[in-house]
Amino acid sequence: MQNDEHKIFEENIPAYSLGTLDAEETSALEIHLPTCASCRNELAACRQISDGLLMAAPPKAPPAALRQRLQRRLPSAQKTNRPPRNWSFDRLALGFAIIVLLALNLFSLSQMQSFRRQQAQLTHELQTSQTALAMLAYPGTQSLPISAANISGALLLDKDRSVAVLIIWDLPQLPDNRTYQAWLVDPQGNRTSAAMFDPDPDLPFTSVTIKSPNELSAFTSLGVTVEPAGGSRQPSGSRVFRIDF
Amino acid sequence: MTKPDDKELVRQVAGGDENAFLMLYDRYAAQVHALTLRILSDPMLAEEATQDTFLKLWSRARLYLAERGPVPVWLLTIARRTALDRLRLESRRPTLSTADDPDDLWRVIPDSKTTGEESRWRALYMAVQSLTPDHRQVIELAYYQGLSQSEIAETLGWPLGTVKTRMRAAMEQLRRVWGQP
Ligand SMILES: [Zn+2]
Repeated sequence: MQNDEHKIFEENIPAYSLGTLDAEETSALEIHLPTCASCRNELAACRQISDGLLMAAPPKAPPAALRQRLQRRLPSAQKTNRPPRNWSFDRLALGFAIIVLLALNLFSLSQMQSFRRQQAQLTHELQTSQTALAMLAYPGTQSLPISAANISGALLLDKDRSVAVLIIWDLPQLPDNRTYQAWLVDPQGNRTSAAMFDPDPDLPFTSVTIKSPNELSAFTSLGVTVEPAGGSRQPSGSRVFRIDF
Repeated sequence: MTKPDDKELVRQVAGGDENAFLMLYDRYAAQVHALTLRILSDPMLAEEATQDTFLKLWSRARLYLAERGPVPVWLLTIARRTALDRLRLESRRPTLSTADDPDDLWRVIPDSKTTGEESRWRALYMAVQSLTPDHRQVIELAYYQGLSQSEIAETLGWPLGTVKTRMRAAMEQLRRVWGQP
């Protein structure tokens, strides 16, 4: 049984590495991968080819005008990206978070005014984002950026007050039978469920309040996995990202 | 004088350094452009996708994680997605290479000089050219047209099982011919 299953997954790996595997098979494989070293090795070998194909076309210089056009566009692209000179990286992440949260507040408010439906959900979102905004005013709030392919955002963390809010951009929608679940990880590697959430299809970002049973300082990282709808007692699905405190 | 390495340059770009950005541009623009041209087969669209890719380099440099792979792989992955998104936006039909000339898409005139680093990629390029037309086509549609296996089956009128078998065989062949580093 186990072996037959593994064989089917293994056969799908070349297609997966090229990004051509159908969505359902992709989710199934992504659940299998963390559990199977042999499939991970196979994937690493296939990735050599798929990464190589990125470089395989003989180089062809773009028109020279493109370089100058880009150069002209950098300063304006910079205004939104670049903090004043002596801001630290942390500040930059915080600044980014503030912009996201203000947008979230405005968006939620306007939605609340125009639609009565889903009010509870929106109130909840608004509360989460207002918590996050309030957190930004604390000097002790850390902003830890998320680093994952195609997903950006930050975890706002105040260990002293045991408050944390996760802000995620571009989180892919999941099929109905799956959900995202956040886990707090302690130094022994034990996982405690901290939230379940799904991205709002109408919003480009997702905000989640992290509920910690103990002091947040008892944990060393936070991970997010894909789990069956309703959540799991322990992580069983593929990891989306992890943030170390 | 040694040149700054890619990772150092990306770090500087994250800090807003235009010169570092231009150095990366000079290093990789031709590869990014070759890839976007390969996917979009339209010079104007390819130039725009190249521009968008480098603007993303500028705005996302701080998200780059060195331990996840070399800078060109990261940059070209962004380029591939940007070009495929554009392809979808233009809702153009996939280019069916065997319909006319199976070798046409791979017959790009390279820029003059070939560096040592390039020869490895050139070897993979040759390996793709050495595939049978059926095998080359599944790689083509999957990787450079962004189609899923079901979409490829539909496009070519092949059973899904055939697409899967040929996809595996094509990758096997590339691994055999190109070898592992
Ligand atoms: Zn396996």
